[in-house]
Order: sequence, then structure tokens, then C-alpha cells
Amino acid sequence: MIAMDDLRKQFTTGRGRSARTVMAVDGMTLHAQDGAITGLLGPNGAGKTTSLRMLVGLVTPDSGSIAVDGIDMRDDPQAVRARLGVLSDARGLYPRLTARENIVYHGRLHGVPDDEVQARCEHLARLLEMEALLDRRAEGFSQGERMKTALARALVHDPDNIVLDEPTNGLDVVATRALREALRVLRDETGKCIVFSTHIMQEVERLCDRVVVVSHGRHVADGTVASLCEQAGCTDFEDAFVRLAFGPEGTPQ
Amino acid sequence: MNNWRAMGTVFVKELKDALRDRRTLMVVFITSVAMGPLVLVLLSTLVGKFEKRAEAREIVTVGLDNAPTLRNYLERQTYVIKSAPADWEARLKDSKLGDPVVVIPGDFEDALAHGEPPRIGLVYSSANQRAQSGVGTIVQLLQGFDQEQGALRLIARGVSPSVMSVSRIDEHDIADNASRAAQLTGMLPYFVMMAVVYGALNAALDTTAGERERGSLEPLLATPAARGALVIGKWGAVFSLGLLIAVLSCLSFIPAQSLLRSESLAALFRFGWVEAAWFIGLLAPLAAALSALMMAIAIRCKTAKEAQANNVVLTLAISTMPLVSLFNQEGETAWNLWVPALAQTTLMNRVLKNAPISPLDVLPSLFICIVLTIAALTFVSRQLTKRAAQ
Repeated sequence: MIAMDDLRKQFTTGRGRSARTVMAVDGMTLHAQDGAITGLLGPNGAGKTTSLRMLVGLVTPDSGSIAVDGIDMRDDPQAVRARLGVLSDARGLYPRLTARENIVYHGRLHGVPDDEVQARCEHLARLLEMEALLDRRAEGFSQGERMKTALARALVHDPDNIVLDEPTNGLDVVATRALREALRVLRDETGKCIVFSTHIMQEVERLCDRVVVVSHGRHVADGTVASLCEQAGCTDFEDAFVRLAFGPEGTPQ
Repeated sequence: MNNWRAMGTVFVKELKDALRDRRTLMVVFITSVAMGPLVLVLLSTLVGKFEKRAEAREIVTVGLDNAPTLRNYLERQTYVIKSAPADWEARLKDSKLGDPVVVIPGDFEDALAHGEPPRIGLVYSSANQRAQSGVGTIVQLLQGFDQEQGALRLIARGVSPSVMSVSRIDEHDIADNASRAAQLTGMLPYFVMMAVVYGALNAALDTTAGERERGSLEPLLATPAARGALVIGKWGAVFSLGLLIAVLSCLSFIPAQSLLRSESLAALFRFGWVEAAWFIGLLAPLAAALSALMMAIAIRCKTAKEAQANNVVLTLAISTMPLVSLFNQEGETAWNLWVPALAQTTLMNRVLKNAPISPLDVLPSLFICIVLTIAALTFVSRQLTKRAAQ
């Protein structure tokens, strides 16, 4: 279970007179339950990536609290990270290592025992249909192959909570479908808590049990797709999102 | 999370990653491991040529037929007399002629018979290094002729030649073989030190700026492994590579000795297992500090290219250090042993000269290197999280 409450973060860019303060996250709240896929939906620059970076501990929030499975980030950041499997915006692999070596490396860093880490690797390769990739070097991988390897790497320690930052970016239809299917399996068969950030409506409609809509760094609405449509007074989810994120006029504020 | 396990995992991964980069490794290997012995062999060839010339006892002359007395003297000195080619002046200028030319005027014998000093021309070009190196020998040879003739005249007048010499110069060269050779082998420390720099540089960039550029740093920091353990693991791999290249570079001088062309240089240059062990021991702390410093410079950069440009400053500083000791007229001073790279150069030169080294000589640079390593690694560890999100 992931709970982010009233997170705030501002960045200062430039120095001296040209210094500018940007409010990247301004009151972000998200509660994601086990056994459910929670969508974090917002336009570009809404603060999704910053929020997820705060969850991992790469960015320290100015205020607000983060807890994973009841463990507060401020008390024990390492225990929080151990409970998370994160596919971040940056998903670079080591090109001179094979897919298997890339996955096992992270497994070991997550503290997975040596005898288990290979078995986990094989299991994930079956789940993500990437057995043929395992012993190939990562240089020359396609976008889809890279994403699968990065996802397997994020899941190697069998985390209870999975956080995916725009995972379908750059993927073709087949790869997107395969990913969606894998996430359903993880939710239904193992009861994982999955947070899925995106700006693509169809993905949210097809996959998410609950949706948190963010805009300008703020949490603006949450609920199921149907309840959000009802809340916005629209039948189409895209219309509902635009109205919720940008106001009744449907233009950015 | 066990920090030791994380450290070991990162160390093994980074080492494996760097060793798979065959192309870079090959370039490093050629530039740092093969370069030193190659220069040593070239240098010995040059010295060998000088020696050969000195042994050959040859003199190039123009108009020696005008001076039978001088010819007689030269032949008694067992010199081989060669006539200069017709275009000798042009050849000297173009460095095609490697000997200075002795020019005898037509009235040589006549002047000598009348007690007038005949003028002997000694022509060389200071831009022609080969010819210039022979000038001293020829001047000495001709002065010998001058003295002999003078002595004969004094004897003919019933005066002892010793009247002309009020004192005698006894030359004593107190340099031993090793320190004489060190004049020529003084650049050896430079080569092995640069080997450390080039050996560690690529890995230092790849493990820091390279991680940022690839976008693999953020996922790495999402693991529960302690930042310090990650940094030490990475540094360990960079340090090992730097040291590996240093070891190979030092050991490569041992077989290279058999290729030395100059016999006297080969006799003077003694670089055995003991010297190699000293070199490696002295270089290890420097390799540790340099690896950490290069990582500290690189972690601030977004791309490996930017990091490489930033690291040029450090590389330049290291490469100019041996020059300080080369141009230092005052000889070794105490502060030399406190400056990293300069201290190692100084001490490695002492090893080559077979001069004693006490633990107190090694301690200052060891201390500075340890402080630098700890400071740089602490900096990298602090920057890691900050830079990952940028």
C-alpha cells in the first residue's frame, strides 16, 4: 500500500537575479491499495515524475508525508525502497551486459539471495515473454525489449508495490498490450499494489481500478473511471479528464 | 541490506562492464603499456648511435693534404680520416652530414714552419644535433695536436714543457652508474603515471557521468543499497583498473630491457622485480586518489563527453608534475614529497637512482592521497542522489 499525503516541492532554477522558483508539486495526495492498479493521470508537466521521485527518495519533499506498507519514508528510506519496484522515467540499461546480467545486478542490490535471483529472472522472463532476450547484450535492444528488461529489473525482488512512470512511452501496440496483460496478472494473481503514471486516456480506461487526476502539481480528483465521468458530468472519459484537469472551459489555467 | 554484498556486487559488475569494452581497453593498453618501453628502446637507439660514433674515431676533413704533420698526428691517434663530400656545407645545414668538418687552409705547413699559428676551421651547425655532439671530441683532439707541437718547440729550445702547465686538472665523476642512467630514464615515472590516469579515466567516467547519460543511475538509486556502498564499489573497480594498467606498464619495462640497443645504457639501466614492486607500491595510493578525484569531477557532468573535457584539467596537472622535478635547478626540496604525482615522480626517480627511501619520505604523499580519496568519495556519495534527479 502506498500513501502520499499533501506533498509539496518547489525548485529554484538559475542563480542571482535570474533565479526562478517553480512549484513542481503543490499538494499531491495519492492512496494506492493492494490488489489494485491506480492510475496517476495528468498532462505533461503536471508533477507526476517529481511525485514518483519523491516516493523513491531521489527528491526530498518540502512538506507532506510518504508511507509504503505503513513505513514512513523519513524513518527508514531504505526499507521503503526495498518494498518498491520502480520503473522510472529513466530506464537505462548497461549495454555491455546481457539482459540477464542487468536483471541479476539489481536483484543482488535488492538483497535477493544468489540461489533465488536466477529463478526470479527466469520467472519474469516467462511472464514478460522475453526468454529469447535473456542472454543477449542490451546494446541494440529495441524500445520494447529495453522496456521489458527494465521492467523485469524493477520486479526482480518481487516487491509488493510497483510504480511505473509512463511505461508505454515509445512502445508499439503489441508491446503495450503485452505490458497491460503482465500488469493484470501481477494484480490478480499476486495482489500487488500498482501505481501507473500516464497521460494516455485509453490506458487508464482499460487498466486502472482507480484514477488520481493531477494538474499543476495538485491532486484535483480521484475515483473510478465511471465516477470521474459522473463527477465531471461527461459521458466520454477524455472530456471528463480535460474538464477536471483544466477547468470547465477545457483550456490550461 | 548487507553493505558488503552491495559493494562487492557493484565492484564485480563495473569491472566486468569495463573489461568488456575491448576497444577502449586496447587503446589504453597500447598508449600506456607499450608506449614506455617503445620510447625507452628509441632512446637507447639514439644513445647507441652516439656511442658508435665515439667508438668509430672518425674525422671529416677538407684540405688535409695541405697538412701532412696534422695527418701524421691524427693517424697516430688512430683516427680514420675521411674527406668531406663536395657539398659538405649544404649537407651540414640539412643535417645530412652527421660530423663536424675540419677545414685546413692551403698555407698550413708553411705557417707551421715559420712559427705562425695556422688557422684550422671547425665547421658545424648548432641546428644539426648529430654533428654538434661530435664537436667537443674534435676540439680536444686538435688541442692535443696544438700542445704536442708547442711541447716540441719548447724542447728544441731546451725548455721543459712542464713550464707551460702550472696546474693539472684531475676529473672525478662521482655519479654512480644508476644515477647516470637516471638522467636518461627520468621520464619513466611519467609514463607509468600517465598509464594510471588513462587506465582509470574511462571507467571513472563510465561509472558516474556515463550512468547519468544512460539513465541508469536513477534505477540504481531506487535500490535499497546504501549510497556509500555503491560509490565504494564503483571506486574499487576504477582503482583496480588504474592499478592493473600501472602494474602492466611497470612490468613491461622488464622485458623491454633486453631490447636496449645501447650497451652502456643496458648496463646502467637496472629495472628488475624490486624496482617494479617499488613503482607499483608508490603508484597504488596515487591511483586510489586519482580514481576518486576523476569520479568526483565526472559526477557533476551530464554526459561522459562533458566529464572528459572537465577531467582534462586533472590530466594536465598530473602530466606537468614530472616536469617540475625535471626543470627544478635546486634539486629535490622537502615540499615535493607533499604534492601528489610530484611526490611519486620524485620517489620513483630515487628508486631508479638506487637512492635510499625511508618510510618518512613515503608517508606525506600516502597521507595526502588517503585524505583526497576519502574527501572525493564523500563528495561523490553526496552528489549521487542530487545528480540522479537532474
